[in-house]
Amino acid sequence: MSIVLSAEKLVKTFPGVRALDQATLTLTAGSVHALLGENGAGKSTLIKLLTGVYRPDGGRVLLAGPDGPQEVHFGSPQDAQRAGVGVVHQERNLIPAFSVAENICLQHLPRRKGLVDRARVRSEARRCLELLDVDIDPDTPVSRLSVAQMQLVEIAKALSADSKVLLLDEPTASLTGDEADRLYAIVRRLRDQGHAVVLVSHKLEEIFAVADTVTVLRDGRSVAEAEPLARHSRDQIVDLMVGRAYQEVRLPQRTVDPSAEPALVLDGVSTSAGHHDVGLTVRPGEILGLYGLVGAGRSELAKALLGLEQITAGEVRVHGKTARIRDVGDALRRHRIGYVTENRKEEGLFLDQTIARNIAVTVWRRLSRLGLVRDRAERALVADYTERLGIRLASPDQLAGQLSGGNQQKVSLAKWLAADCDILIIDEPTVGIDVRTKAAFHELIAGLAEQGMAILLISSDLPEMITLADRIAVMRDFAVAGELVNDHEYDRMSQAVIRLIHGSQEAA
Amino acid sequence: MRTASPQPPTASAPSAAPPGARSRVLPFWANPRLGLVIVIAALVALFSSLSPAFLDPKLTLAPLQADVSVYVVVGLAQLAVLSLGHMNMAVGRMAALSTFAMGLAYDRLGVPLLVGLAIGLAVGAAIGALAGLVIAKTGVNSFVVTLALDFGLLGLVTILYTQATDGVAFAVKPAGLAELRFDTFADYCAGELCGPRVPLVVPFALVAALGVGLLFRFARLGREILMTGANPVAAELSGIPTHRRIVAAHATSGLLAALAGFMLAANNGAFSASIGESFLLPSFLAPVLGGTLLAGGAVSVLGTVLGATLTQVIYKGLNLLQFSLEELKLYIGLVLLAALSLDRLRAVLAERRAVSSS
Repeated sequence: MSIVLSAEKLVKTFPGVRALDQATLTLTAGSVHALLGENGAGKSTLIKLLTGVYRPDGGRVLLAGPDGPQEVHFGSPQDAQRAGVGVVHQERNLIPAFSVAENICLQHLPRRKGLVDRARVRSEARRCLELLDVDIDPDTPVSRLSVAQMQLVEIAKALSADSKVLLLDEPTASLTGDEADRLYAIVRRLRDQGHAVVLVSHKLEEIFAVADTVTVLRDGRSVAEAEPLARHSRDQIVDLMVGRAYQEVRLPQRTVDPSAEPALVLDGVSTSAGHHDVGLTVRPGEILGLYGLVGAGRSELAKALLGLEQITAGEVRVHGKTARIRDVGDALRRHRIGYVTENRKEEGLFLDQTIARNIAVTVWRRLSRLGLVRDRAERALVADYTERLGIRLASPDQLAGQLSGGNQQKVSLAKWLAADCDILIIDEPTVGIDVRTKAAFHELIAGLAEQGMAILLISSDLPEMITLADRIAVMRDFAVAGELVNDHEYDRMSQAVIRLIHGSQEAA
Repeated sequence: MRTASPQPPTASAPSAAPPGARSRVLPFWANPRLGLVIVIAALVALFSSLSPAFLDPKLTLAPLQADVSVYVVVGLAQLAVLSLGHMNMAVGRMAALSTFAMGLAYDRLGVPLLVGLAIGLAVGAAIGALAGLVIAKTGVNSFVVTLALDFGLLGLVTILYTQATDGVAFAVKPAGLAELRFDTFADYCAGELCGPRVPLVVPFALVAALGVGLLFRFARLGREILMTGANPVAAELSGIPTHRRIVAAHATSGLLAALAGFMLAANNGAFSASIGESFLLPSFLAPVLGGTLLAGGAVSVLGTVLGATLTQVIYKGLNLLQFSLEELKLYIGLVLLAALSLDRLRAVLAERRAVSSS
C-alpha cells in the first residue's frame, strides 16, 4: 500500500489555544481512515489545515507525486482541491439555485471562448456521478434534491478534480440509517477504486463497520497513529479519546437538598425545533449539565425555554408553577431566568457598545425613573459587578469588543447577575478561553450554585462538565438519552457519558 | 451630545490600566464635531470677507437660521432610524402628508396653530409607526419598505391636494403663521430689553434636538433602540422587545419629519404639496457629516446640528456670491465630498497616532 498523504507534526495555535500540537496523520491509497477525537480535540482544525483553509504554524504536509513525496503548501481550498485533496465539510456548501452539474464543476468550470462550456460541464458532472454509481440528473437544481442526494453531490464535487484524497467530516450527521448505509457502500467503492478516504464521525458503529485504520486525536496530539482498527475494541477507542491525562480541578463540595422544590422542571416537553419528550429538573443550588454533540438540540432547548421556539407538548414549571414564557424579557422579569448565550460575540454582547451598557442593558427598567435611566445608579451597579466578577477594564466606558475573551464572557454573565436571576442557563461558557481563566470561571459558576442559584449548564467540554455538574443529562437527536449522577470520577464518568452519546443504534 | 459612541477612556479614567485591558486614547482632534466647527468657522470667515452681506442680520443671518432649523429637524428625523441601522427613504413624503393634515385642519376645522401642529405630528408619528411595524413584522429591509411607502405617499399626497385644494397649496393662513415666518425675537421687547435677532422657528429645532438628545442619551427607550441597532440578536436575547423599539424609532422619525414639514411651511408661508421634496438627501447629509454611523448603534445629535449648519452655510454663501442654481448644486457636492474626505483623513490620522503611541 502506498502512502498518498502524510501530515507530520502539524502545529496550529489560535489566540490562547493550541488547537494542534504536533499532530500526525498518514493516509494510504485504497483505505478508509477514521479520524476520531472528542469535541475540541483538533479534528476540524486538522481537516482545515489539510484543505488549505488554515495554514499550519509548524510541521509539514507531504503529498505523493510522480517523483515521490513532495512537500505542499496550500494557500487556499482551491489549491488543495487542484492538488487532489477533496473535502466534504459538515455544513452544506452547495448553491441551491444552480444545477447539480454546475455545483459539481463550480471550482473549475470548463470554458470555451470565455464562456462556460455547458456541454462539458454536464459530461464532467456525469463522469463524477458515475464514479459514485448514483443516478441523479445533472440538470436538476440542487434545491430539489433530498438531503442524502445533496450529500452525494458534495462528494461528487469533491472528487471532480481527480481527488486521490477525500475527507468526509460527519457525512451521516443528517442522514437516516438506510441513507448512511448507502453512503458507506459508496465509500467502500471509492476505496476499492484506490482513493484514500478520511472519515470523521462520532458514530462508532459506523466507524467500525467501514474504516480500516484509525488515528485518534486528543488535545491536539495524535494518541494513536494510523493503527489498524481491527486491533482495537470499542472501549479501547473510547479510552484513547478520553485519555487519562486529565487534571482534575477540585471544587468545594456542594450539597443539594434533594427535597427542595425544583426551580425549573421540564415535563415531557416537545418543541417546534424537534425536541421530543424532554424531561429535566434543576433544584436551587444545583448545576444540571446538559451534554451532547453539536446539533443534539441543547441550545435549541434553551431557546425553546425562553419562548424563541414553540413548546408543542408537555409543560415547563418554574418554582412549581406552570410557566408559559413568551420571550427573554418575560423569562427575565416574570420568572427570573437568565440565558448566557453560546456565541458571546454574535448573541451575547454588543461589541461596539460600552461595557457599562452591556452590563446594565437588562436592568435599565429597574434603574429608570420616568423613563430616564439614573446615571449614578447605573455606574454603581456596573462598578459593583465588574468588581465582583473581577472584570479587568480600564474604564466602564471602554468598548466590550476591546476586552479579552474571558472578560467578555464575564460581561455577558454580569448582565444576568445584575438582573437578579435565580435560574441561569449558561451555554458553552468557556469556548475559546484559556485554561487559567477557565478555572476561574468554573469557580465562579460553582460559587453561584453555592449561593442557591439553579444552573442549567450546556457544554461540549466534557472535563468542564464533570468538574462542574451535579448531574449530567446527555442529549442525542433532540431527546434526553440518559441522565447520570456525577461522582466527579473523570474516567468513569467520561466513559459513561460517551457511551450514552454514541449510544447503540437500537436505542435511537 | 454624542451617545453610545466609541468613547475612549478619558483623562479622568484610572491611569493605571490593568495589564489585561487594552485601551486606546485618541487625540482630542479626533472628535469629528470639532472638525465641523472649524470648517464652519472658516467658511463663515471666507464668505463674509468675499461678501459683507453675509453678515447682514436681516438679509442673511435670520433666513439662514430659519433654514438651518428646518434641516436640523430633517436630519434628526433620519437620525432617529439611523440609530437602528435603518433608513427612512420616505422622510420627505411623511412630512408632506403631515403638512397636508395640518393644512386641512386649519382650512376646514379652523383650529389654532399649535393644535394643527399637534394633529400633523400625530399623523407623522402614525405613518412612521406603520413603516416600523411593517419592517419589524416582515423583516424586509427598511430601505425597501420606506422606498415603497414613499412611492405610495407621493401618489396619495398629490391626490389629496387635488381633492382638497387648487392642487398646489392650501390658501388658509392660520393666525400666528406670519409671525412665525417673519418675526425674530428682536421684534418682541419688554421695555428697553429686546430679544436677539433669532427667528421664531429656531426654538422648535432646539426643542427637537434637546428631546432627541435626551432620548438617546438618558432614556431607556432610546438606549434600547441603540442596542437593537448595535446587535438585534443580542438585544432580543437580552430581553429588549426589539419589534416595539423598531416601531418607536420609526414613529419618532415620522414625528420629526412632520415637525420639519411644519417649520418649512412656516418659512414658506404656505402648506403646499411641494413640502418635503428637498428633504431626502439633506436628511442623510446632516447626521453622516456629524459622525453618525449608517450601521446603527451610535448617533450624534450635536453632529447633526453642525452637519445641517455646514450644508446651509455653504448653500447661503454660494447663493450670495451669485452662483446659479446648477453651479450651486455642483459646488455643494464638491465641498461636501472634500469635507467628508478630510474628515476621513483626520480619523485615520488620529487612529494611527493612537496606535503608534500605545
